[in-house]
Amino acid sequence: MKYHGNKRILVIEDDNHIAEGLKLNLSLQGYDVVIAKDGISGLHEWKEWKPNLVVLDIMLPGIDGLSVLQNIRLEDERIPILILSAKAEAHDKIKGLSCGVDDYLSKPFNLEEFLLRVERLLVRASWVSREEDAAVQTGDLPSGIYKFGDNLIDFEKSTGICRTGKVSLTEQEIKLLKLFITNAGKTLSRRKILEIGWGYTGNVSTRTVDNFVARFRKYFEADSKKPKYFKSIRLVGYVFENDS
Amino acid sequence: MDQSKWFYPIIVFLLSVMALAASLFLYIYWYIRVSSGLKTLVTRFNIEPSVVLESHTWLVIMVLSVLVGIILLGIFTIFMYNLKTYQLYRIQQNFINNFTHELKTPVTSLKLFLETLSKHELSRAEQLKYINYMILDVVRLSDNLGRILDLAGIESNNYQGDFIKTDLVVAVETFCNANEHLFPECRISVHSSSDKHFVYLINTYLFEMLLMNLLTNAVKYNDSKVPKIDISFDLHGNMLHIKFEDNGIGIENIQIKKIFRKFYQVGQYKDMTAKGNGLGLYLVKNIARIHNGKVVAESKGIGKGSVFTLKLPYKEI
Repeated sequence: MKYHGNKRILVIEDDNHIAEGLKLNLSLQGYDVVIAKDGISGLHEWKEWKPNLVVLDIMLPGIDGLSVLQNIRLEDERIPILILSAKAEAHDKIKGLSCGVDDYLSKPFNLEEFLLRVERLLVRASWVSREEDAAVQTGDLPSGIYKFGDNLIDFEKSTGICRTGKVSLTEQEIKLLKLFITNAGKTLSRRKILEIGWGYTGNVSTRTVDNFVARFRKYFEADSKKPKYFKSIRLVGYVFENDS
Repeated sequence: MDQSKWFYPIIVFLLSVMALAASLFLYIYWYIRVSSGLKTLVTRFNIEPSVVLESHTWLVIMVLSVLVGIILLGIFTIFMYNLKTYQLYRIQQNFINNFTHELKTPVTSLKLFLETLSKHELSRAEQLKYINYMILDVVRLSDNLGRILDLAGIESNNYQGDFIKTDLVVAVETFCNANEHLFPECRISVHSSSDKHFVYLINTYLFEMLLMNLLTNAVKYNDSKVPKIDISFDLHGNMLHIKFEDNGIGIENIQIKKIFRKFYQVGQYKDMTAKGNGLGLYLVKNIARIHNGKVVAESKGIGKGSVFTLKLPYKEI
């Protein structure tokens, strides 16, 4: 489901005062804000409400902020996430950044700085999604026979010939292969693959994408652990490369 | 020192013990072998056994075993000491991390609201609401600072403060009434088994700190819709028992003694189940000591509330 209107920000913060203060200020800037008091309800809101940006505290009751971050990143590499935390040593920041957070502000923070960073993250996110939409080719899909390495895909007959012999490919598999091949060399985020491959339903997990890629690797790669064609780029997505 | 390095001391300990056991076995085995070898030699050459050293086998084995036992004890002691040191480190780390959060959170809130009020024109009602939050934050900060600062004074053996004759029942009642706003949803009741006035020499500041800590705990570690605290005064022989009974989450048996330890918190800093700063009950224990009394905790178990009893030596005047 595509929302229109105000940008949505999810604030995951357990201290009442700070949470309310953040909601007040972000609302006054024109954003729609929802507060979650702990990791579990935070993840729930992220799944249900689909915010455009997440403001995350690290020290949360129950599951901690970094686990929440990792959980979100498993599904969505691109959603902008900003950490707001009392833990501000270099090693804390490094932990957060290596898990894929986009920005890290220590508490106590400057309000103006916080608001500007949030705004910037949202602007960049909108460029990225527009770029992605433009870059991903869905027209001019391959048909007929396509060869890569020792593999061959016959789009007419929905079959593939690979090292394990002949495999018949499902409609979904064909759809995905077409998507990958048309965009060879371009890294696609798992979220994008999901949107295009399954439609904007939002009920399928990006793990399904992982399962399909694993299957492709089993069929078409000599060594699944060292893929030549269906490569994964950490925290970004998948890319299909065919140098021949 | 982190979790992954934790298992090394155990490995070292186990290997040492195994090496020791192996060497003991080898010494004895080798000794018996040589001994019997010598015996055959003696009989072969018909030498008087008394010329060659007497074997005293069992004596030797006993001495060896005793020495090995002592070494074992030594290793074990060092191992236990290592364990305690690591535990203490972890507790202190817990405390520091948690306390940083305790101090930084109200400061963050204050900064946030002050910047907000400076930036936006808000209605008087909204202004008042946020100003109120800020006041609560300052109080929170101030309490934490107070606890740390008092700690040094309270830990010492001669507390410098005035002790005044006070009616304890009145003191407790006054305190509860004055601080009602801090325990909004709670029902606190004070009663005494007799009409007596229990007059005791107390330091008001410390006594109020003790009350504040016990009451805050009763409310903090409480999941009930209506937290209830019942304070009662009873005379047991020549001891006055002031009982603080609550309907909170209770205390496990193994924790009962530990909770009074400095920095000790039930729960882990990592999953944020550790609340507060681990000092509250430690302070309570010391304040009781300063007043020549003691505090004990009792609980029927998790979910069954707790009872904290302050016992003071009381002499009827």
